[in-house]
Amino acid sequence: MKRWSWALLCVVPLACGGLLATAFWLEALPNRIAYLRADLGTLALLSGLLASGIAAGEGLRRLGEERRQRAFLQTLQTESIRERHEFLRRLDHELKNPLMGMRAGLANLTGTELNAPQREIIESVETQTLRLSRLLADLRKLAELEIRPLDCAPVDMNELLQDAAALTTERPEAEGRQIMLTLPQAPWPLPPVSGDRDLLFLLIHNLLDNALKFTAPGDKIELRAFEDGARVVVEVADTGAGIPEKDAQLVWNELYRGENARGVPGSGIGLALVRAIAERHNGEVFLRSRVGQGTVFTLRLPVYRK
Amino acid sequence: MSSVDNLSPHLLLVDDETAITANLAPFLERAGFSVNTARDGVQALEQITHLKPDLVILDVLMPRMDGRQVLRHLRQQGDWTPIILLTQVGEASERAMALEEGADDYINKPFDPRELVARIRSVLRRARPGQPPLAAAWKLVCGKLVFDRRARRVFLEERELALTPKAVALLEYLMTHPDELITRERLLETVWGWDYPVGTRTVDTRIAELRRELGDDAATPTYIETVPGEGYRFAGKVEGQA
Repeated sequence: MKRWSWALLCVVPLACGGLLATAFWLEALPNRIAYLRADLGTLALLSGLLASGIAAGEGLRRLGEERRQRAFLQTLQTESIRERHEFLRRLDHELKNPLMGMRAGLANLTGTELNAPQREIIESVETQTLRLSRLLADLRKLAELEIRPLDCAPVDMNELLQDAAALTTERPEAEGRQIMLTLPQAPWPLPPVSGDRDLLFLLIHNLLDNALKFTAPGDKIELRAFEDGARVVVEVADTGAGIPEKDAQLVWNELYRGENARGVPGSGIGLALVRAIAERHNGEVFLRSRVGQGTVFTLRLPVYRK
Repeated sequence: MSSVDNLSPHLLLVDDETAITANLAPFLERAGFSVNTARDGVQALEQITHLKPDLVILDVLMPRMDGRQVLRHLRQQGDWTPIILLTQVGEASERAMALEEGADDYINKPFDPRELVARIRSVLRRARPGQPPLAAAWKLVCGKLVFDRRARRVFLEERELALTPKAVALLEYLMTHPDELITRERLLETVWGWDYPVGTRTVDTRIAELRRELGDDAATPTYIETVPGEGYRFAGKVEGQA
């Protein structure tokens, strides 16, 4: 027959985020008539270990949960990029054939006898068809950019920026603008960044192109760069019209045309491409602007590490 | 006698869009070709068998049998009728595939019809009747320069060159179109697939990279010749190996 016996239980609350307590069977400790401070110390230690164990377990569970949530969000994001890419691809396909038909028709017409006004009309339609083709090509670039593998190699930013500045200075649209390039020399020149040279060149070109569009003769455009040890920072600054505050975040969206941009030639893809290229290079790009004073675009790209 | 010596080379234009064939055919006829048209891959194969055209302009996306299937079918039969593919998809991998599958050239839609005429003429000039085009060769050899297309590696005097993927693609395009003036715009369109405004300088940068690695002097080139104000030409004689 089982004999009932007294058991000594000590209940210790545990501080680990929730309401948790544990009961220790005191007889587990060496038989004592009285419990010493040392025994309580042992209990406290055991409880402490238990509490941190539980807390760590809880932490890991939450971390797992967060990771699952992040992975879920990432899947959603990848999914939406894929969907957008698929949409642009379909749009590209569907618009190419009608555009081709129009171009073939126009080419066919130009070979026939036309009087001067007719020729003028044909030329204007041709220009608009070309514009549509370019817009389509730009949309495709944007779609491709998000998924295509980068042709990655160390890129000499000194050379790239010099090249971009020279090209801009040579353009007829640059007439009357003062274009300056400032590159650090001391104590060392700009380090290389890792990336696709052609794309980075396009990025800088688009920023400079934008600066040309929103400045007038007499304005200044500065292309300057420096490094902060971890990143190469490139700025394109101008004394142009500036961007109204309500447009400042929207100008990055594809096909968005700000208040100041109406009447300025362009497809509304340039800055969307700039951002997409910066992000594909683990970089960031943002702008500061004051209406009537000008705009600064700042690009940060990680320095190339072997 | 090569087909280009004929007074009017015979073309077969294959596209399911009548707006394209109805306008391109008279345009090509005015440019000095005689033209037949087909609306899908199956019809194209029938016409190729019966009409034996000098060159086929073949759209990729078509009902019943698409352009790639027609191309593959012909090449498997050992039929090397010159083919220019009208590619739809602008992505680089798709473009490279066009050449690997044995097309003589490709042009992205929407294109300038005058550019198509220029391409037709140069493909006809290059064509070696009954023989595979250089574009279908797995190895391109020009003297001491060897381009292994399967491995995408380039050797000069048996030493492998360290080239960026873009430079490799550029050299490939130049070597598969030897002795042909190729404008910077065309290189951008076909190799980069992007016709961006700064592109011409981008092309020059890559050509400089190629020349550096090839040890080629721009003033007295063995391989890549600059045609001032126009573009580039691969000056060496290229042999294709299976």
